[in-house]
Amino acid sequence: MSANKDGDGGWKSFLWNSERKEFLGRTGGSWFKILLFYLIFYGCLAGIFIGTIQALLLTLSNYKPTYQDRVAPPGLSHTPRSEKFEISYNVNDVETYLKYTKSIKEFLEMYDDERQTDQMKYEDCGELPGSYIDRGELESDVGARKACRFKRTWLGPCAGLGGHDENFGFKDGKPCLIAKLNRIINFRPRPPTNNASVPEAGHIRVQANVMPIHCQNKREEDASKIGEIKYYGMGMGFPLQYYPYYGKLLQPQYLQPLVAIQFTNLSFNEELRLECKVYGANIDYSEKDRYQGRFDVKFTIANS
Amino acid sequence: MSKGDSYDMFEMNGEVDVKMKKKKKIKKKDRLEGMKKEMDIDDHEITIEELEMRYTTSVTKGLTSSKAAEVLERDGPNELLPPKGTPEYVKFARQLAGGLQCLMWVAAVICFIAFGIEFSRGTLGCFDDQALVIRDGQKNQINAMDLVVGDLVEIKGGDRVPADIRIIFAQGCKVDNSSLTGESEPQSKTPECTHENPLETKNIAFFSTTCLEGVATGTVINTGDRTIIGRIASLASGVGNEKTPIAIEIEHFVDIIAGLAIFFGFTFFVVAMFIGYAFLEAMIFFMAIVVAYVPEGLLATVTVCLSLTAKRLARKNCVVKNLEAVETLGSTSVICSDKTGTLTQNRMTVAHLWFDNVIHAADTTEDQSGQSFDQSSETWRSLARVAGLCNRAIFKPNQESLPIPRRIVVGDASETALLKFTELAIGNMMEYRERFKKVVEVPFNSTNKFQLSVHELEDPMDLRYLLVMKGAPERILERCSTILIKGQEMPLEEQWKEAFQTSYMDLGSLGERVLGFCYIYLNENEFPRGYKFDSDEMNFTTSGLCFAGLISMIDPPRATVPDAVMKCRTAGIRVVMVTGDHPITARAIAANVGIITEGSETVEDIATRKRIPVEQVNRRDARACVISGGQLKDMSSEELDEALRSHPEMVFARTSPQQKLIIVESCQRLGSIVAVTGDGVNDSPALKKADIGIAMGIAGSDAAKNAADMILLDDNFASIVTGVEQGRLIFDNLKKSIAYTLTKNIPELTPYLIYITVSVPLPLGCITILMIELATDIFPSVSLAYEKAESDIMHLKPRNPRKDRLVNESLAAYSYFQIGAIQSFAGFTDYFTAMAQEGWYPLLCVGLRSHWENVHLQDLQDSYGQEWTYAQRLYQQYTCYTVFFISIEICQIADVLIRKTRRLSIFQQGFFRNKVLVSAIVFQLLLGNLLCYCPGMPNIFNFMPIRGQWWFVPIPYGILIFVYDEIRKLGVRRHPGSWWDQELYY
Repeated sequence: MSANKDGDGGWKSFLWNSERKEFLGRTGGSWFKILLFYLIFYGCLAGIFIGTIQALLLTLSNYKPTYQDRVAPPGLSHTPRSEKFEISYNVNDVETYLKYTKSIKEFLEMYDDERQTDQMKYEDCGELPGSYIDRGELESDVGARKACRFKRTWLGPCAGLGGHDENFGFKDGKPCLIAKLNRIINFRPRPPTNNASVPEAGHIRVQANVMPIHCQNKREEDASKIGEIKYYGMGMGFPLQYYPYYGKLLQPQYLQPLVAIQFTNLSFNEELRLECKVYGANIDYSEKDRYQGRFDVKFTIANS
Repeated sequence: MSKGDSYDMFEMNGEVDVKMKKKKKIKKKDRLEGMKKEMDIDDHEITIEELEMRYTTSVTKGLTSSKAAEVLERDGPNELLPPKGTPEYVKFARQLAGGLQCLMWVAAVICFIAFGIEFSRGTLGCFDDQALVIRDGQKNQINAMDLVVGDLVEIKGGDRVPADIRIIFAQGCKVDNSSLTGESEPQSKTPECTHENPLETKNIAFFSTTCLEGVATGTVINTGDRTIIGRIASLASGVGNEKTPIAIEIEHFVDIIAGLAIFFGFTFFVVAMFIGYAFLEAMIFFMAIVVAYVPEGLLATVTVCLSLTAKRLARKNCVVKNLEAVETLGSTSVICSDKTGTLTQNRMTVAHLWFDNVIHAADTTEDQSGQSFDQSSETWRSLARVAGLCNRAIFKPNQESLPIPRRIVVGDASETALLKFTELAIGNMMEYRERFKKVVEVPFNSTNKFQLSVHELEDPMDLRYLLVMKGAPERILERCSTILIKGQEMPLEEQWKEAFQTSYMDLGSLGERVLGFCYIYLNENEFPRGYKFDSDEMNFTTSGLCFAGLISMIDPPRATVPDAVMKCRTAGIRVVMVTGDHPITARAIAANVGIITEGSETVEDIATRKRIPVEQVNRRDARACVISGGQLKDMSSEELDEALRSHPEMVFARTSPQQKLIIVESCQRLGSIVAVTGDGVNDSPALKKADIGIAMGIAGSDAAKNAADMILLDDNFASIVTGVEQGRLIFDNLKKSIAYTLTKNIPELTPYLIYITVSVPLPLGCITILMIELATDIFPSVSLAYEKAESDIMHLKPRNPRKDRLVNESLAAYSYFQIGAIQSFAGFTDYFTAMAQEGWYPLLCVGLRSHWENVHLQDLQDSYGQEWTYAQRLYQQYTCYTVFFISIEICQIADVLIRKTRRLSIFQQGFFRNKVLVSAIVFQLLLGNLLCYCPGMPNIFNFMPIRGQWWFVPIPYGILIFVYDEIRKLGVRRHPGSWWDQELYY
């Protein structure tokens, strides 16, 4: 650290000057003094720093972040996760899609019925989409809130339950994707006010109390190759009774609604680009964020 | 940097995608329009015959092959044009035009401009003189460049001597050798060899000197680089340019910085490898640390500070050729000054008169502001008349508006001096001479050493002639039999002769040139009107004259010089006179300007005073010492060093160019930083060898100006003092600037260190660092160059270049480990605030890095269970960059305020006295706001519009910096020499 390394006598005597008993240009006493000074100095600084951070933490609410401007509007994420925005496998080779089915399986375990038996934590919110369920103010003294149950069976063939396909359709070239809307505290998604924004093919799924989701080919030339897309889940979208989310502290057991999207007739051996979008009045898309309210996925399914 | 790049690439891909899409859209549109046009097709409706007609074909035979070729020519081949992708060069150009890249381009362009300026300054025009040469027995005017050795050339008054010439024939030829030897008097040239030293002998005229009067013919003995002056010039170019002290300082400092950067980088490279990062990643960390650590803006700051001072100096008539020289002047400890033109006015002036047996002092100031002597005596009037009439010098016409001392005169130096003197004393000499019509004159020559002229009297009734004479005093006295005392002619008795001798010696010992004046009224019977005076025969009385008085002349010192020398002395700078002039004159001037102070004695003086031989004098008793070139020749360099060490007041006289060089080298050996002033070609090697060469702008020769680092436009020694002051100030201020610039390297570095070791999301990006280094902090660091001096810097000793470094240990330690540390804490406080308020608690951040930077993780949970997509996290990260940036900015404002002083309290220095600094702070804030809130910034420079309150988080730390530094300064002031002072004063 010293500026006078090229002082008289060169490196060696700078490192250890036996004449004056100096190490790196300072005697032991001098080193002790300066180190003590820095110890005190940094001690004070660290104290101030920790104090400030503590003070900061005191100003924060336990239930809701001070600002949500970066996290809202919500992202739309899917399982299995794509790798390099691509899902590619060979139907004849289990190895190639095992990682996808495995990740779906693991993800869906959270939705197992046995996990949702605790009556203190879960309640049934009906089989049909309903309106928001208000469970009181965040800051009120009600404490922990119940969450709605979500049944895996609603996901139909993509539920991966016994009797159904454990391979989530991957084996038959009809892969399932599980989509979810990212959690945001106190966020109440609003369904589209009219169906003008939704592509024609999705109009049938626009209904009250549901956030519709719709996938379509990204490139025009793929239009004929993607085949039929099936949607499973309550109301084939995200039903509103699961909202709002009350946060990790009040609703640690919260399960957000899922939609399973099954691509039943994808052309094999071709790179197909698909885009799924969730539609709603307070859902936004951004050119810079490919997962805000939508996602892109590229399928390449080989069958040889 | 690491992840930043990969993000960038990701972003870039995104952008390219978008742009591709746009292009496709345009194409689609075109195609659609084309399709619409093709809707007009009616080929399907018309009959086969019509179809055949339209396409000039046949349904049976088809087209003719020639027709087919023609149509092919017209329509082009039958294939779909491949869609145009983005051309590779456009992609390449896009890579070159990114935000960061643009910064680099600007830097590159600035470099080129700087080079251009330097380059255009470099060359000076060469001369093309004409020379009159005799070849084949005929006189030819040829270009001086075409002269060869052996050519016979003729020179006359006003010519430049075209080569080194051995004089064969001369008539009243006088040559101005001042540029070569520094002698201010013209040297007469004759065919005789008068001295063994070629520089002293009278029969050689040197290349590039000027012939003032007379004519001469001579043979060329040397041309080009082989001439004396050419040799001096090549000596000058042979002398290596010394590194300036500031260059050494900066090099020293760059070494430290580079060493530390690599040390830090390597340490963390090892740490990163140890923690388990991949080699490539660790390598990228290494690079990032080096980038964060190197103060990119520093060299720019130093250059700008120096050029500001250079500009300030230029306004005070010092033009700086080499920027670094500005500071060199500040660390100067010895000034070797030439005498002629620098310390003196370079014009002969009447200094003393002796008449009525009293020595009178004349006014020698440049603007005639001094005291004049009593002019009531009758003798004075006679003396003035002789001096005025026996004078061939005349003013050039049309100069009535100029003050008399500035008027241009035709004539030699002493006649000029007398003319100006009488003009001032009597007024309008031209008209005065008209009244005393000149009948005959005998010009000065070296055998009789006098000049005389005979005039009619102004009273037309008085038919006597007046003979006036001037010349070497002893010769004049020989011809006199009476002397004028208080207007009365007295017989010249022994007592007067003795008085004359004493005065003559006195004036001579002052280094002055003394002339005697006498006159006589010629007997009107012997010399009636119309008498034929013959200047060759001298058929008139030239003895038994009446002695009027003595007038002595000297090239007087400039009025400002004694004061400036005094100032140098208080500033601990030694002024040494090095001149080509005679020792006596040199010593007289040295005493006059204070280079030899009152009461200082030379060895010779002591010897005379104690009446002992010179050898017995203890050399250490003598403060002053005058060494002539002859003595110097016999001295070894150790003896010279010893002489310079033991005598604080030194004068070197009669020195040759090589000797000047030796003197400079000797001073440098003794550890001094040497400034040399000079104007002649003879000075140029020394100018070059000196740490800083100072040439005279008016009197200086081109060679001197070329060799110098600085040019004094007004030739005034006093300007050097201003330069010294500015140089010292800039050294102090550079120290402050550098301290300011270095400080922020720590808050730029710590984010990386924390990022690597604790794996928090990156708090500060590379582009942000560069914006701090190259944009926001440049102006404030430059503004410190405008800071006033803290104390009277002209009363301090020059800095010791070995000990008082520009960047010393305590400066680095204080900036890095104290102020820099506080700034880092400020940055992290703000960073954690921004993270926590958006939902990421500090403890969650620790170890979050790998998830945070996973491009495929689109639902990462924050402390509240909310799920973030990758891009949302990325913008949050940019927000962190910005708050960290703002924290550094706020702390740097406190930093620039504390850097205003190193010892004084800022309240003593004044908060707002440095207006530039205040505006720099305002500018910095505005630029910070622009970067934060200008639309488009997130994607160009990774700045996000941040919440207002995040600006205020670092303010307490800013106040802490301010208060802490005030405490430091208080301790330094109260307890000088204490541990606190030693460790914390930089």
